[in-house]
Amino acid sequence: MTRRDRGTSFARRLWPLPVAVLALAGCGGPQNALDPHSHPAHDIANLFWWMTGGAFVGLGLVVGLLVLSWLRRDTRGLPPDPDDPHPGEKAGWTVVVGLGVGLALATVIAVFVVSAQMLKVTQAPAASSTALTIQVVGHQWWWEIRYPGTTAVTANELHIPVGTRVNLVVGTADVIHSFWVPELNRKIDTIPGKKNRILLYADAPGVYRGECAEYCGLQHAHMSLKVFAQPPAQFRAWLANEAKPARAPTTALQRKGEQVVLNGPCSSCHTLRGTSASGYLGPDLTHLAGRTTLGAVTIPNRKGYLGGWILDSQHVKPGNEMPDVDLTGPQLQAVLAYLESLK
Amino acid sequence: MSASDYVAGGKSERLVPRTTDARNAREASALARRRHGPSPAMWGMAMLVATEATLFGAFIGTYYYLRFKSPQWPPVGTPEPRVVVPLILVGVLATTSVPMQLAAFAARAGRLAATRAFLALALVVQCGYFAYEIHDLVDQLHRSQPQDNAYSSIYYMLLGADHAHVAVGLLLNLWLLGKLTTGLTMYRLNATQVIAFYWHAVNLLTLLVIGTLLSASV
Amino acid sequence: MSATLPPPAPAEEMVERLERMWQSRPGVIGWLMTTDHKRVGLLYFWTTLALFGAGGVEALLVRTQLIRPDNHLVSPSTYDELFTVHGMTMIFFFIIPMTTGAFGNYLLPLMIGARDMAFPRMNALSFWVFLGSAIFLYVSLFMGLAPNAGWFDYVPLASRKFDPGPNIDFYCLAIIFNSIASTLTVANFITTIFKLRAPGMSFNRMPLFCFAFLAASFGLLFALPPLTADTVFLFADRNLGFHFFDAAHGGAALLWQHLFWIFGHPEVYILIVPAFGIATEIIPAFTQRRVVAFPLVAIAELLVVFIGFGVWAHHMFAVGMPTIVVVFFSAATAVVVVPSTIQVFAWCMTFVTGNARFKTPLLFIAGFIFMFVAGGLTGIMFLAVPFDQQVTDTYFVVAHFHYIIFGAAVFPIFGGIYFWVPKVTGKLYFELPGQISFWIIFLGTNLLFFPMHLVGLEGMPRRIYTYPSGLGWSSTNLAETIGAYVTGVGILLLFANLVWSYFRGAPAGPDPWHGATLEWTISSPPPEYNFAVIPKVSSAYANWDVADREEDRRKLAAGALVLEQGHEQPVSSPIDGWFSEIVEMPHDSPWPILLALALSLVFTCLVIHKYVVAGVMVVLLGLVLAGWHNAEPETQ
Repeated sequence: MTRRDRGTSFARRLWPLPVAVLALAGCGGPQNALDPHSHPAHDIANLFWWMTGGAFVGLGLVVGLLVLSWLRRDTRGLPPDPDDPHPGEKAGWTVVVGLGVGLALATVIAVFVVSAQMLKVTQAPAASSTALTIQVVGHQWWWEIRYPGTTAVTANELHIPVGTRVNLVVGTADVIHSFWVPELNRKIDTIPGKKNRILLYADAPGVYRGECAEYCGLQHAHMSLKVFAQPPAQFRAWLANEAKPARAPTTALQRKGEQVVLNGPCSSCHTLRGTSASGYLGPDLTHLAGRTTLGAVTIPNRKGYLGGWILDSQHVKPGNEMPDVDLTGPQLQAVLAYLESLK
Repeated sequence: MSASDYVAGGKSERLVPRTTDARNAREASALARRRHGPSPAMWGMAMLVATEATLFGAFIGTYYYLRFKSPQWPPVGTPEPRVVVPLILVGVLATTSVPMQLAAFAARAGRLAATRAFLALALVVQCGYFAYEIHDLVDQLHRSQPQDNAYSSIYYMLLGADHAHVAVGLLLNLWLLGKLTTGLTMYRLNATQVIAFYWHAVNLLTLLVIGTLLSASV
Repeated sequence: MSATLPPPAPAEEMVERLERMWQSRPGVIGWLMTTDHKRVGLLYFWTTLALFGAGGVEALLVRTQLIRPDNHLVSPSTYDELFTVHGMTMIFFFIIPMTTGAFGNYLLPLMIGARDMAFPRMNALSFWVFLGSAIFLYVSLFMGLAPNAGWFDYVPLASRKFDPGPNIDFYCLAIIFNSIASTLTVANFITTIFKLRAPGMSFNRMPLFCFAFLAASFGLLFALPPLTADTVFLFADRNLGFHFFDAAHGGAALLWQHLFWIFGHPEVYILIVPAFGIATEIIPAFTQRRVVAFPLVAIAELLVVFIGFGVWAHHMFAVGMPTIVVVFFSAATAVVVVPSTIQVFAWCMTFVTGNARFKTPLLFIAGFIFMFVAGGLTGIMFLAVPFDQQVTDTYFVVAHFHYIIFGAAVFPIFGGIYFWVPKVTGKLYFELPGQISFWIIFLGTNLLFFPMHLVGLEGMPRRIYTYPSGLGWSSTNLAETIGAYVTGVGILLLFANLVWSYFRGAPAGPDPWHGATLEWTISSPPPEYNFAVIPKVSSAYANWDVADREEDRRKLAAGALVLEQGHEQPVSSPIDGWFSEIVEMPHDSPWPILLALALSLVFTCLVIHKYVVAGVMVVLLGLVLAGWHNAEPETQ
């Protein structure tokens, strides 16, 4: 290895720095912890940036010492001087104690104190400090969402009023999941036999994507959710509609579809409030047409996708609890017409 | 070779006891008295005891973790453990540490007959304890099963693990008595000390385990 | 006793006698029955290397599946098995057995001037049990029934209800099986370190490598039982109807997590502390400088494991624990940083104040320091609870622990392989390809792991088998996958270099690096009895104490302390290293492999739920044990 090579080698160690700044500053999708849209997420992101700055200083310090040793390399002969077996031991101790103990302690104490101060930001909201409570129950592999005090039940698409403190109570119907909408707040696990709470708050109207963060089995990858933060009036209207029973079919085709749904296999797992369908294994379908996605944000809620999902959901989301449903062409058309009418 | 030539302690090779030189009880005893500190065999047993004790620590920790999560302990419908008889029995078991330790001392002193006698005495008491405990375990299983609830699960897990350790101790004592029928060697002397140590540990663990289990009745 | 000793024989004759005494049986039988710590170390080395290859292939499959959004290379169930077995393999079947089993077994007795481990047959047993457990796990993978609930295997996902196949039974039993092997190894290490040091090697004269292995051994000894308890509970829950983790019957799902992480966090330090030990031997050799602040580093090596037992719940900040608990574990996590920073700066200052020669092993150590500091700094971020709660279970964590586990444990292993292979084979590796392999691995791992920080912050959870496009994760994942393959190429180059050097390398001689410790005083490869004369030790850098080595040669010529009367080994007092007795060590034995075989049968019966047959196998196991102890060493 030539001298020039060795010089550039150490420079190369710093390559992640520009990459990091570039990547984090601009890009990122709708699930980006560094694109916060609430004060808790904002505080966390700020904390991250400060700590990252400090981390690069610390890394620079150590790399600097290694570079220094490279600059001083091969300056003494072999074997080590028996009269001076510990050259620079005093300086060494000074650095080890000063930086290894002193600076390290100062750093971790600073991080500890600042983050402990910040704990209340991500803590469960104080009782009665919130205007609204929403219950979320994790299922393999979808989210059930309930609005206590109303009959509204939905799935995978959570609506909240913007600028309002929401008390989110999370639980699970089966295994441990983790509710996580990074742009709004940190994550919270759903533990069997336990109710966990977290604050949900959005600064601005918008759609924020979330995803189950705790490995929960085969389709952990397809267990996402969307949070729709809406102006309060719009939210109230949505909630009022969501609380209503399912719309009665208005056309003959829809009526035929309703019959297929109620008499076929659908009703054994799904609920359509106001009808005889009251299964509880799958998501509530009362206002299915009001949702934008299917299969826990796996595919869009459009006619073609919905039909594909009903006939062969195992292809879209292998291993999910919904069996492939055997319908004839006309039956499927009727069911789709009915389901599409459930605004 | 001058004695100070070699090593720390100022001892030369010739003055250091050689395990292989001990061919009978007297030589083994003389050698055991000349060595520094516990033998490697004792260290090995200490390691086993350390890891087993930690395992019991995890079990007992689990017991209290589940207990403090539970509104009632033991849960409704599960009988409380009986206190008096198990407490007396575990006390009897604990006293076998005395003959076990006396056996170890006797072995170190090269007294073969005394070693055997103390071991046999301990073994009889331990067997009695074990037989009653197994009988009692079967009896308890008629009233509650480990499949009932988390309390029963950890109850029987702790009890079973402890009985298993007593059973291993019985086998060790039997094996040692068998070995000692043909005399005492360095190896058997080590074994006596090590097994005595094992029994101290098992007795202590049994006290802790039974104490933990009976705490549900207090 | 002294009267029965023959008159001193000439040195050559004594060494010849030693050779005869310590010779293993020839051929395969010799390997199957061996108790030689060097052979056991090599067996461990080859086995763990093969498992590293398997774990690497699993990692490449995982990375290839994630190369682009909505990829369908492997099915979700296969993916789950791949990442679970990858994690288990790298932790339980590669790093631990590679550091303790291979490096520790081969080097530890050499460094303390001993001829073998304290319990040579138990040492062999630990290897065969380990091999059995590895085969056990991989049989499940090839049957498509491998563990699939992640390496930390949270309940209730791992309960019978949600995972009805035998997959998790394999998990429980493989872990217990493997833990037996590890416990045997570390009990042996602790005893060896305390009792078998060359007379005169008091505790403060012991190389830092040994301090590190002592720390890791104590860590494993006390960390494995909680894991054993946990897996026993899970096995009982799944197969016998117990209710430890079942909230409906008074159990608690979080019990699993607590017990697991009481094991799991010390485990993280147990993975890297032996690597610290490797670093603290390579650094002196290539800087020709004793490690700065030696006593502080020795204490820090022990402390890091000790404090590591008090931080487990920082893996559980998102489960909804009371604030006071969260704050406590955050503070404990802050404290555990300090012993690590002490060591980092001690290494760096040894680089600076010494005469650094950047040969391949030292390059790996420099790379290790970089990776460890980078991973450690993100580790400090995790003590900030709100931030931890934001990024835990995302790729940010995956990045963090791969910087630690790959960067801080595997880099020193690679450096150590380059460093000690000349000792083991007697041949020097090729320097330029060695340095190239370092740079490829270094750049590859950073390309592999650094973008994971970014994609984690951008919201990618860990353990998802695929992801949609449009979330900004695609290019980062592509970069990671490229990095994985680059790393793979670098590792292949590393091993190609070593294989090539075995056939074509220059002879290494006893001491190619002017190394600091006792293994460099003897020939390469070392003779079976290790030391012709029990060496004199008056510092932790014994090979640099020229006067002591002269004295060893004089003693050999005079026939003093050769101990060639039998399979003999001096035993010392635990702290001061006073010469306390000479014991006869066991020789080749068929019993360890037979016992491991019996134990394998027990586990096989358990996994197919034939409990009665398993009981019969336990009796068989007892008979093998009795057979083992039938013959006494002194009367052989």
